[in-house]
Amino acid sequence: MATQYDIPVGAQHISLLEPLHFKLTTENEKIVDVEANVGYVHRGIEKACTSIFKFRQVSFVVGRVCGLCSISHTTAYSQVAEKLINIEIPLRAKYLRMLVIELDRIHSHLLCLSHVAENSGFEALFMQTMRDRELSMELLESVCGNRVQYDYSIVGGVARDLRPDVATDIRTKLALLKPKVDAIMDVFENNYTLSLKNKKVGFLSKEDAMKYNAVGPLARATGLAIDVRNETEDLLPWKQVGYEMITDTRGDVWARNLVRLKELYVSFKIIDNILNGLPEGAILTETKALPEGEAVVRLEAPRGELFYYAKGNKTQTLERLKIKAPTFSNIPSFVETFKGNEYGSAPAIIGSFDPCLSCTAR
Amino acid sequence: MKAFFTALGNLFSKPATVKYPFEPTYKPDDFRGLIAHNPDLCIWCRRCEMACPPGSIIFSQTMDGKQAYHYNRALCIYCGECVRSCPKDGAIIQTATPGHPALKEENINNGWKVIVDEALKGRAAYSAEKKRQAAAKAAEEGDKKSE
Repeated sequence: MATQYDIPVGAQHISLLEPLHFKLTTENEKIVDVEANVGYVHRGIEKACTSIFKFRQVSFVVGRVCGLCSISHTTAYSQVAEKLINIEIPLRAKYLRMLVIELDRIHSHLLCLSHVAENSGFEALFMQTMRDRELSMELLESVCGNRVQYDYSIVGGVARDLRPDVATDIRTKLALLKPKVDAIMDVFENNYTLSLKNKKVGFLSKEDAMKYNAVGPLARATGLAIDVRNETEDLLPWKQVGYEMITDTRGDVWARNLVRLKELYVSFKIIDNILNGLPEGAILTETKALPEGEAVVRLEAPRGELFYYAKGNKTQTLERLKIKAPTFSNIPSFVETFKGNEYGSAPAIIGSFDPCLSCTAR
Repeated sequence: MKAFFTALGNLFSKPATVKYPFEPTYKPDDFRGLIAHNPDLCIWCRRCEMACPPGSIIFSQTMDGKQAYHYNRALCIYCGECVRSCPKDGAIIQTATPGHPALKEENINNGWKVIVDEALKGRAAYSAEKKRQAAAKAAEEGDKKSE
C-alpha cells in the first residue's frame, strides 16, 4: 500500500471563496477519503430572528444570510410568515417575486461558472463571464434599488412596483446578455483545454445522488430530475410562466456547467413571459395579524432546495425559525464526488459545487 | 487562428471597466439611499422607529414634550420599511443619495449609543412627569368630589 497523505484545503485557500474546510486523504495524487467541516461562519441568525427582531423585520435579517441568494431567503421567509398569518398575496406580487428570483439565478449561475473557469485555470473566461454578469447585476439594481441586498420580498407582498421603463430596460439588457451567454456556452461546450479539466472529473452517479440526497444543479447534472419549481404550484406559479426541467446524465463538472448554462436560457424565457403577462393589481396585502401555528416552505434557490420552518405563538416575535440551505443538503454528495479524482482537480470540483457557506452555517 | 484575431481585435476595443472616481458608476433613478425626515409634516407617531429593523431611527423628547428625530446612516440598511410604515405622506422619504462614509470626528458608533440612551431617558422622564401630573390632577378632582 502506498503512503497516504492528508492535505487540508481551507478554511482559507486560494481557490475557495468561502471558509470551507476539506481534509483530503491522498494516495499517489488520488483522493481516497474526504472529511468536510463547514461551521466557520456561524453568526447565530436563527436565534436573532427569534429574540430581538419582530416577525415583520425578520425578512430583512434573513436577506443578510447570503449575498448571492438574498431574494430566495427573503421570499421563502415571507411565504412561511404569510402561511402563519394566513393571508393570500396578490398575483402581481407573486410574478414580481419570480422575476427577481430568476434575475438572481442568472447572476448566481454566471458567478459559479466564472469560478469553475478560474479554478480550472482559465483566467480569461473568468474575466469574460464576470464582465457579462455585470448586466444582470445592473438589472437587479434597477428593479430592487440595491445591488446585493435586494430587500424585495416583504411579508404580504413585494416592497416596490416594477416601473414600465425598468421593464423596457430589462428587455434591452437581456437582449444584450443573450449573445454573450451564447459565446460563453460555446467555450464551455467546445473548448478542448477546458474539457481536459472538466470532462469525467468529479463524477457523481445518479444512484449516489439519490442516496446522498443531492439537490439543485448538482443532482440535475446526474439525471435526477429534482426541482422545487417542478413540484409546487401553490405559492409561486412556475408552470404558468414556462418553467422547464433541465437535466444531463453525465454527472461530471462539465455536465454541471452545461446544466447551469441551459438553466440561464430557461430563466431568460421565464423573465420574458413574466414581463409580457404581468397581471395588474396591488403588490401588497396589508394585515395586522400575528403569526400562529407552524408552517414549512420549500423554494428553489440557485443552488437547490431551500427549506424554511417557522413557529409562531401569537406574539410579535417568532418562537422558532429553521433554515436549511441547499449546500447543507449537498455536503454528503460533495464528499462522495471527490473520491477517485486527482488532487489537482479538487479546485475545479469545489468550484462546480457552487458552495455557499454563509447559507449553510447561518 | 480565430483566437489570434480576437486577441488582436481586443487591443483596439474599449475597456470594460469604468474609471470610477472620475466617472460615475451605474446608478438607477430610484436607488435606495439615505432617509430624509421632514419635521413640518411629521405627526410624531414613532411608527418608523418601531418598524426600523436595525434601530437606526430614534426620537428624543424634552420635558416640554417637544420631539426630535435622530438618524444613524451607518446603521441604516436602506430597506425603506420606515417609509412604508409612515401614515403621513412625505414626512419620511427615501432619497437616491448614497450614504457617505463616516469620519472619525463624527464618532458615529459611540455617539449614537449616547444619543439612544439620552433619548430613552428623556422619554421615560417625560412620561413619568406626565403620569405624575395626571395622578395629581385625578387626586385634586377626587378631593373636589369628596368636598
